[in-house]
Amino acid sequence: MGLQGRAALVGAAQYKPEKYMSAPRMFHLEQIADLATQALDDAGMTLRDVDGLITSGAYFHEASSFVPAMVGEYLGVPLNFAEVIDLGGASSVGMVWRAAAAIELGLCDTVLCVIPSRMAPMSPHDDHAMEVMRSSRFGGHSTRFGAPEAEMDLPYGHMAQNTGYAMIAQRYAAQHGYDVAAMARICVDQRFNACHNPGAMFYGQPITVDDVLNSRMVADPLRMLEIVMPVAGGGAMIVTRADKARSLRHRPVLVAGCGEHVHSKSPTYAHDMLAMPIGPASRKAFAMAGLKPADMHMAQIYDCYTITVLLTLEDAGFCAKGEGMRFLREHDFTFQGNFPMNTHGGQLSFGQPGSAGGMTQVIEAMQQIQGRAGERQLARHDLAYVSGTGGVMSEQGALVLRGDQ
Amino acid sequence: MAWNKPLPHPTSISQPYWDGLRDHEVRLQQCEHGHWLFFPRTHCPTCGSRQLIWRRVSGEGRLYTFTVGRVPTLPEFTDEMPQLLAVVELDEGVHLNTTLVGVDPADVRVGQRLRPVFDDRPGEVTLLRYTPVESAHPGVIAGEAAPAAVPAPGVEEKPKRRISCKDIAAMKSLVSEEFTGWSNAFEVTQEIINQFAALSGDDYWIHTDPERCKRESPFGTPIAHGALVQVLVSRLKMPMDYEVVDFVNIVNYGSDRLRFPAIVPSGCSIHGRCRVKSVEQLKSGVQVTLEINVHVVGQDRPSVINDLVMLYM
Ligand SMILES: [Zn+2]
Repeated sequence: MGLQGRAALVGAAQYKPEKYMSAPRMFHLEQIADLATQALDDAGMTLRDVDGLITSGAYFHEASSFVPAMVGEYLGVPLNFAEVIDLGGASSVGMVWRAAAAIELGLCDTVLCVIPSRMAPMSPHDDHAMEVMRSSRFGGHSTRFGAPEAEMDLPYGHMAQNTGYAMIAQRYAAQHGYDVAAMARICVDQRFNACHNPGAMFYGQPITVDDVLNSRMVADPLRMLEIVMPVAGGGAMIVTRADKARSLRHRPVLVAGCGEHVHSKSPTYAHDMLAMPIGPASRKAFAMAGLKPADMHMAQIYDCYTITVLLTLEDAGFCAKGEGMRFLREHDFTFQGNFPMNTHGGQLSFGQPGSAGGMTQVIEAMQQIQGRAGERQLARHDLAYVSGTGGVMSEQGALVLRGDQ
Repeated sequence: MAWNKPLPHPTSISQPYWDGLRDHEVRLQQCEHGHWLFFPRTHCPTCGSRQLIWRRVSGEGRLYTFTVGRVPTLPEFTDEMPQLLAVVELDEGVHLNTTLVGVDPADVRVGQRLRPVFDDRPGEVTLLRYTPVESAHPGVIAGEAAPAAVPAPGVEEKPKRRISCKDIAAMKSLVSEEFTGWSNAFEVTQEIINQFAALSGDDYWIHTDPERCKRESPFGTPIAHGALVQVLVSRLKMPMDYEVVDFVNIVNYGSDRLRFPAIVPSGCSIHGRCRVKSVEQLKSGVQVTLEINVHVVGQDRPSVINDLVMLYM
């Protein structure tokens, strides 16, 4: 049962995060082709090697259906496996295991996983552009007739992510207590990491716990610096057969374990707002890899908000439920510390390029395992835990990645 | 005033719930095995049964969680700032989204007992809000006589210090980093915006066309002209504890700085405050720079910053 570690991540590429308005506008097809060739170059492969494709379908600019066929045709690549994924911030983690599963099943050899997250050029007569604008206005909530959230959430102002995560944090505070300074340390340590990553949005801008605590309250108890900054960007990863990977440019990064869990779209309707889908997803990933949380050399944890990190640490089993604040106080999360986490800066300090936000974490894990993380390279770097989160803790996934010996 | 926030569009499945609220009753679905459910559905998410009936319940419950939203989730909600978004766990065990009314944000506690408040203001439907059981808030918010979301602070007329503009030391003592308290609140209605559009000739659709704004504007609702909000300062009584006397004439010299950092959505109330930023003795008189900030009620970020320069002669 499960993956056998016969598929490997071999290369990746991502755009440097930029402010949305100043970033270049490119059609999504154009971004995909550009990112794909860069990622293939990184791996030491070409488009001729690709026979599988996974891309993100939500907000795809040039089509709302038949997306893989359009992309395959544009690239000039016949596909033995094609899929569109719709898991928000969990999409990248979901792409990697789907690619690995398709390869292990023998459906295909090499899969391009790609998410374009720069804005596309818009024509004034473009209905789709208006729909995307409308949906971003409602924070990804569906406003369509018959959608429960359109009926039960929006009239009360429940929308977008900030207030949903804030309500989760408030519930946590009531049940287990809340240490604002400990939570702020997540941001501070990750910013330290970003200050060693020239590719990060907040490179060269260190912060202190006081900076976090003095930043503006957005939705109690979440402050401005505990919330990701959306940026334009995007990325691509190449997954291929492990035997093939061994002849390529970099150390193969084997997909050793995976898990995914999807529950309530709105945390309001969850039976227990503090029991995250990342729990079952992570247990499956560790069991599949035959490893425990304590075995990991690094954790690249999806961090749209500080509370997401805290709950992932607990539910993935790095500490017990309700022990998160103590765990935060007892660990140093910088790449120099005793629990290296989000060594690229996390999305809080790297920037969150839309649905490709979670890809920054997968790519960092891959580069660390390959030993090419530059200044922030870890000494022990064979095993990585990576998580992804979409919606308001609606859909989550976990990967255990292992360097090939 | 028309309700400018998103409204529910009941479906054939959910209609009994909304009919219940209109009758000031909370109705929930229950399956044949006794499981309660919310939101309305065709089946029970606990056991899959399709044998569901609607039952009247008390609507009471406990606060499961909440947040105090300091940035409006949509511009249309600016008048509710800060937004007291809450999840209630009804006594039947189901959770629903709502907002709290009749409670100070500082007094909200997870676990506190809540009772329903039927809000008839939207017109076509009744929304279900909540208040602490011990709150004096009425159980119904009436459609027509809608209370203002934020009561205007009473501006007390206290005797003011009289400061002679000839006394430069006394004038300079007015300079402060501290702002005055808030003025009264004034509602910027669509009608006022339309009047200003007609008067100024600036009738751009983003100010005057609610239907098009709903479809195409990133704000979803018309917004007041910055220049309009600036002139509405005349409607705001700033609680200053002094008045300047002994001058023959005041000249308005214009502004050192005039900025419109945040929008004012149609239908929101504004209020303002000010401080004396600098006082200078010139040959012709005393020049006072007054920093006036106008905010949408509940918003941290000002909608107008005006450094108004006046000369007392
Ligand atoms: Zn049932």
